[in-house]
Amino acid sequence: MIEMIRRFLRQRFGNPIVAVTLVVLALLIGVTIALSGTRAGTSSAFLALVILAARSVSKDASSGALQMILARPLRRTQYLYGRYAGILCAYAAFLVLCGVFAALLAVAALPALRVPAPPFDPRVLLRGLAGSLLGAVLFSAVLLFFSTFLPGYGDVLAYFLVAILLSLPEALGQALKTPWLGDAARVAHQNLLPEVDWDTVLGGQDVLGAPTGRWVLAVVVFLAAAALVFRRREFAYGQD
Amino acid sequence: MIVVENVSKSYGRFGRRTRALDGVSLEVQRGETLGLIGPNGAGKTTLLSCLLGFVRPETGAIRIGGRAVDDLWVRARTGYMPERLGFDRDLTGGAFLAHHWRLSGGDPTKTRGEVASAAARVGLEGPVLAKKLKTYSRGMLQRIGVAQATLGDPDLLFLDEPASGTDPLGVSIVRDRILEAKSRGATVVLNSHQLAEVERVCDRVVFIDRGRLTRSETLTGEAASRRRAIVRVPPERVEDARGLLDSAGIACQAAAEGALRLDGSTEAEVARAVKALALGDVPVLEVRSSAELEELFRESPTR
Repeated sequence: MIEMIRRFLRQRFGNPIVAVTLVVLALLIGVTIALSGTRAGTSSAFLALVILAARSVSKDASSGALQMILARPLRRTQYLYGRYAGILCAYAAFLVLCGVFAALLAVAALPALRVPAPPFDPRVLLRGLAGSLLGAVLFSAVLLFFSTFLPGYGDVLAYFLVAILLSLPEALGQALKTPWLGDAARVAHQNLLPEVDWDTVLGGQDVLGAPTGRWVLAVVVFLAAAALVFRRREFAYGQD
Repeated sequence: MIVVENVSKSYGRFGRRTRALDGVSLEVQRGETLGLIGPNGAGKTTLLSCLLGFVRPETGAIRIGGRAVDDLWVRARTGYMPERLGFDRDLTGGAFLAHHWRLSGGDPTKTRGEVASAAARVGLEGPVLAKKLKTYSRGMLQRIGVAQATLGDPDLLFLDEPASGTDPLGVSIVRDRILEAKSRGATVVLNSHQLAEVERVCDRVVFIDRGRLTRSETLTGEAASRRRAIVRVPPERVEDARGLLDSAGIACQAAAEGALRLDGSTEAEVARAVKALALGDVPVLEVRSSAELEELFRESPTR
């Protein structure tokens, strides 16, 4: 597991293009946080998460690296959850970098340049970054699930397709005046891709509320489904 | 060691299913080196994939050392080199081998020594290991693939076209590693189109065609199948040699100048022929004995 996490971090940060992109992105997010507040900045961090989490399994499967790894004394679930933990570790490192940039800008650079900025509160920043990481827990689980059986960037496309499909019937239900369709879509959306106000939860309110419960359930379901699909999947390669 | 019983596997869906393996049964003894021979698309790689647990047979069963193929005990004793090497190309050669050493459950304190030793055995040393894999030539990638497969001296080696794309030195390095594995008692399953190399390292070969195991030929020992031997003597002594071999009851034909071809000979018969010539005072300049795999491949029933 540890070796899988290490490999994931090396793959992502060892690629100079990805590494430079992430540093630039972290700097931009740091600027946004320092100028416009934590919530505005962390919502942009989603882009970095897409870069880190996309093709987490499918790339190894298509390159043939997966077969060499699976020939080793390693359970498929160890590989899979190692990749998942790798995504979260990489994203956590990225958020730390964003936080460092934001803090440096808010405390040192902006006052020196006399740029007007909102007051800097490290606790708000930490809470915002932690919330972003918790949001990544579900998003990564969904992408991991799709990556176990879809090639290339199919995982990212599938996520957006599912998100669109789950929100579409609600609009259709309203347009067609069929409330049941909207209700069904809302229930599916709430359970498959639940939204949690992490700022509130991390602030100590509604910690064990329904949204948190749905979030836990969704994470468990996607991770279990990913393991189920991945354990059953065959990895034939090449031609004789 | 390896028991394959009536294994079948098809690919594709609905009306377009292709039978990749069709009732394949075979056994590989501990310490045996088995070659898989067959044309492209015969099912050799599918068989290897089944042996490694990447693909599940539809019917039949495979046991290795009495255990399932995906048992971690089996995996801990397995080295595998795929035909298509999937590398993290931003890794250095040394980091790649270290990664596989750790994955194989190797002692972390021995990583540096084991990596250096495995790399040295395939002729990759020093600064080469510090270079990224994306800078390696095809031959170097093949070599590091072999080093990866033989890390920690596994009891079981599955090699899929290990010498493909390598230069003659690379071919000889791969051969040496297989022979080294044999000498320490490892069981080797080799899939290769390089028949001469297969013949040099394998104890037995099986021919696979259209998913079926069509033939099995033992290449070494008393049970060896027919071989074709060439005995070269001084050209002026060819007739004497033919006479001696005829007297010993060994059929032969004159081939090139000074060469006699002994057809369908076992190793014992070749030895008897050499002895007869030596006793008749005919100098034996050269003896070459081979199973003529290429010919057997052509003779294969479905060819």
